Amino acid sequence: MTALEQVQATNPEVSAIDDRENVVAVRGLTKVFKDFWGRPKARAVDNVDFEIKRGEVFGLLGPNGSGKSTTVKMLLGLLYPTKGHIEVFGKSPRDVQTKQRIGYLPEESYLYRYLNSEETLDFFGNLFSIDAKDRQNRAEQLIEMVGLNTARTRTVGEFSKGMQRRIGLAQALINDPDLIILDEPTSGLDPIGCREIKDLIIALAKRGKTIILSSHLLADVEDVCDRVVIYYGGKIQAIGTLKELLSERETLRITTPTLSREATEKVLATIRADIGNGEVRVDNPTQNLESYFLDVVKRAREASAETSGATSGHRVAAYLRGDDAGSAADATAKVLDRLTASKPPAVPAPSVPAASQSAVDSLKLAALGKAEPAKPAEQPKVAAKPAVDLSKANEKLSGLLGGKSDH
Amino acid sequence: MQPLLAIVKLTWKAAFRYRLFVAVAALLIGSVVLLPLLIKDDGTARGFSQILLTYTLSVIILLLGIATIWLSCGVLARDIEDCQIQMVAVKPIPRWQIWLGKWLGVVLLNTALLAVSGGAVYGLLMYRAGKLPAKERQTLVAEILVARGSLKEKPFDVKSAVDRYLAERIQGADTNGMDFRYERVMLERQARAQMEVVPPNSIRSWKLPISSIDPVLGLDRFHVRFRFYGADTNSLKEHAGEWLVGSGQNSIRSNPLPLAANTFHEVPVNVAYLGAGKKLSDLLDSEGRLVIQYRNSGESSVVFPIEDGLEVLYREGGFALNFARGLLIILFWLSLLAALGLAASSYMTFPVACFCSIGILIVVFSSGTLSSSVSEGTIMGMDHETGEPIAHSFDTAMLPVFTVLLKVINLAQDFSPVDSLSTGRSITWGSLAQAFAQIVLLLGGLLAVCGMWLFQRRELATAQSNQ
Repeated sequence: MTALEQVQATNPEVSAIDDRENVVAVRGLTKVFKDFWGRPKARAVDNVDFEIKRGEVFGLLGPNGSGKSTTVKMLLGLLYPTKGHIEVFGKSPRDVQTKQRIGYLPEESYLYRYLNSEETLDFFGNLFSIDAKDRQNRAEQLIEMVGLNTARTRTVGEFSKGMQRRIGLAQALINDPDLIILDEPTSGLDPIGCREIKDLIIALAKRGKTIILSSHLLADVEDVCDRVVIYYGGKIQAIGTLKELLSERETLRITTPTLSREATEKVLATIRADIGNGEVRVDNPTQNLESYFLDVVKRAREASAETSGATSGHRVAAYLRGDDAGSAADATAKVLDRLTASKPPAVPAPSVPAASQSAVDSLKLAALGKAEPAKPAEQPKVAAKPAVDLSKANEKLSGLLGGKSDH
Repeated sequence: MQPLLAIVKLTWKAAFRYRLFVAVAALLIGSVVLLPLLIKDDGTARGFSQILLTYTLSVIILLLGIATIWLSCGVLARDIEDCQIQMVAVKPIPRWQIWLGKWLGVVLLNTALLAVSGGAVYGLLMYRAGKLPAKERQTLVAEILVARGSLKEKPFDVKSAVDRYLAERIQGADTNGMDFRYERVMLERQARAQMEVVPPNSIRSWKLPISSIDPVLGLDRFHVRFRFYGADTNSLKEHAGEWLVGSGQNSIRSNPLPLAANTFHEVPVNVAYLGAGKKLSDLLDSEGRLVIQYRNSGESSVVFPIEDGLEVLYREGGFALNFARGLLIILFWLSLLAALGLAASSYMTFPVACFCSIGILIVVFSSGTLSSSVSEGTIMGMDHETGEPIAHSFDTAMLPVFTVLLKVINLAQDFSPVDSLSTGRSITWGSLAQAFAQIVLLLGGLLAVCGMWLFQRRELATAQSNQ
């Protein structure tokens, strides 16, 4: 029994996800690189099977050379499988029309160095046959969103790596894609940029976008992915939701406000009476370094100077929020609503069952909650207290959702 | 269409941002302006203009040809090597459109550069012509700055003549022991001598079916163009001869003209010499042919090679349009080079694609060697003692290859806009259309199909993360 089969057999959430339409289906995928004489040189991907459902954030994990990038390139039609079958939106990855629905951010900046930010987005917008007005509108929003407002006329060749990642991300979103393939999206970004990218991924997934995230930064994957596949030696070693893969079912963790010594002893005595000689540990939860860093930077920003580099991202592009025609204030409110509501927003494709969407949303909210571990228990109550949760979400995504006053 | 135009625009932007356009344009204009200061001519306005046109247009072809190969190989191969093509290929644009967009971009760049440099040549010519005395300017306008049609006698069929002579010779004769090969060589020499050699005080006639060209009949002046060789090839002295145009009473006779051998001459003929009210049609014989005779009034024989023939050149149109048509043929050649570079880079890396494209160009420039090998029937050349080809086993394999190569090359080389423009010959719309069909549609199309097919099949990434 494979890891996937084991997970499916033991966890009902997987079957809920499976109800949705397949965006990507891979069957028996094998890629053998050959030398000049046609002799096999390396088996980069070996008999791989997986499916990615609509609205999933799917992580491809693995050490260098494990086959992640080769898989991504085959999904994009840049490499051709030696054996096996790939379907993207039910068609071959080389189908031209299918590419209309895909956005791709490669690991390195493969952009034209002589184009500036506006020209880059205009060029890629043209490749999607987006009309001039819409193209300009989207380019404006994306440049604003990725924080390159001050560098819009500088050529990409003059950009730092982080700025190149930002404009690369913007071009990947110019067509409002249904499937977004991100190869090491946080590579070269500072922690704030990383957080913004992760928040953006979550926000996009909320809109029913499917995201494939290839990374070897485990924290990134853990923060945003619904399901992951772990590669080694070109083969899938494990696949499943993070909860399935990471939870230790043999242990239990209870988090409470600080208790008095007596109360703690009483609780421990009750537990020990129940479990006998089993290990019981009591400690204080710690904030993770990313959250701590973001907090420090936020305070430091109050006295910030102007920068010629990338600034923190501002508002998520309106067309990505799905409310291009609305006012800015309304749009912000809608984004916050979506990020905080327990029920999912209306998604474009009507074929998605409400139940399955709901399951994904809870995962998103859980992921969102991890960014602020001090109050994990409050997350489920978000829907009941929208005013409170609006402010909390706004605080967490301040770099992403606009209304920033510190730039 | 929008994605295709985006690729075209990107190619333009690359050329401007990397200052390629400015650099090549400056080089072209500099060459066009500086070259006339360095070249030597025969001292006449006609000679200077001919050399100016020949050299500047040749330099333009050379510079733009090299730039085209470099650019067309670079725009695709470099994109593939630097992985930028991955960003384009994952967008909804078919790969053949990416290829076509790159080709169109290079061709449009060439169009602009050719227009700039061609405009500079034209402006320079007109400027120089404007500075000339009226008489010289008139000559220039009549002979160089014009589009002239050409009329030649039907080519003499040497082989048929040899067959006929041989048949006459063996009729009723004893052919036992006859060396037919030797006989044929002798008879061919005899036939050629009859047509080409004009001994002293002898006359050579040409009959041109001029009435078949209606527009000519309304014209009143034309040029007779010819070249001859002296029997004594070491002598530099001029040969005297008289020319008679027309037949019977209506004919124009020249005084004995001393002319140099081994060079082309153009003799102007004006129908007005016949008398008032006369027309070109009055010069024709009863069969509507224009008869031109040459009488050798010198002391030694002269030879009019069959291959050169004698031409009547008549005005068909103005120089400006003819010049533009000439530039268009050059553009067709450049378009073919762009297709060659792109086809090579669809499969190869940038340096290898450049190397192969230039290698093919060298083969094209060696078409004279190919041609002589095919006509001699051997790739090893002739034995000068026996006059026989040096047979080699390679011939069996290589001659068919050379023949096919030559045919392909000639599809592009059949057109010579530089020669035509420098001799004031007309490049007709018909020949322009033929050039477009042969060079762009047929040869360029074949290269495009090959290039697009290779590009379509090619994997645009490798296992490495940065490739």
